[in-house]
Amino acid sequence: MRFSQAKGHQVVSTNDADTIGKVDGFVVDTGTAKVVALHLKKTPGDGDLLSWADLKAFGTDAVTVESASLLAKASDAAKGQDVVGSRILTEDGEELGEVKDVEFDTADGSVTALVTKNGDEVEGIRMIGLGSYALIVKRV
Amino acid sequence: MRAKEVAKRPVVTLHGEDIAQVRDIVYDASGGNVAGFTLAGRGIFAGPLKTGLSWEQVHGMGPDAVIVADEDALHPQADVVSKGAGGGGDVLGSRVLTDTGTDLGKVVDVILQVGTVLDVVGYEIEPHDGKNVFLPLPDTLAVSKENLVVPDAAQEFMTDDLAGFGASVEAFRSRLEGERR
Repeated sequence: MRFSQAKGHQVVSTNDADTIGKVDGFVVDTGTAKVVALHLKKTPGDGDLLSWADLKAFGTDAVTVESASLLAKASDAAKGQDVVGSRILTEDGEELGEVKDVEFDTADGSVTALVTKNGDEVEGIRMIGLGSYALIVKRV
Repeated sequence: MRAKEVAKRPVVTLHGEDIAQVRDIVYDASGGNVAGFTLAGRGIFAGPLKTGLSWEQVHGMGPDAVIVADEDALHPQADVVSKGAGGGGDVLGSRVLTDTGTDLGKVVDVILQVGTVLDVVGYEIEPHDGKNVFLPLPDTLAVSKENLVVPDAAQEFMTDDLAGFGASVEAFRSRLEGERR
């Protein structure tokens, strides 16, 4: 699934069938090339961050969790940089374009590909680090 | 790549942060390689920095950025500048003479090639008439402030095509290597 498709997915608590929010963003760990948390909007309380480990499932139509109590308040540090919109730079100092979308595996959160504005795909496992200036990826 | 294009190139860590930008190139004592760079701040921190970057600390050098492992790659600028002679950077505007006395024009830029070292492989020369040309250089070269003297044979390997210049340098240097034997 792509981030653009997953964004807006309802997040439903399986304990009481309540909708506890909508997927609004993704926190990606570049070291493991995985989505480690989801940002939610329209949550019932202060909490707006959901750890990937706490998900029951990332389904085709909705995300399920056991209860709304798993929502955490996102610190600025936990929010990290948004992969989408980042410029991709290789470790050799060559720009590959800007990330337009991200392809990920809903089973385990693995980032399989970064899709650039030009439509080129860069393998997720090439990611080295993400900062305010760029997403650094390994040379091919 | 042209030396002038290296200036202002961002210095980016493997964590994706831009921590500086290239201000000037420091050439080593022989003038044949780049020893490192002096730096300026980025954005609102623009202005000369007290730190510099030596070539040994560069992780990757490309058309869009200079990549370093992290902030620790930057050292006091004096450490970087002390490795250089300063001579190599002053070649802009110098006249290029062949060892047989032909004036080829004046230097308008320095051409660098990335390898294990950042090698000075040629000069862009503005001739007295006509288009700029690229002149391949021997591995090491004696440089004075006003004049650069290059082997006469270098003329044969001049090209007006920067894309194909790498091959010219290689051909020229292997010719010199052959003559030495």
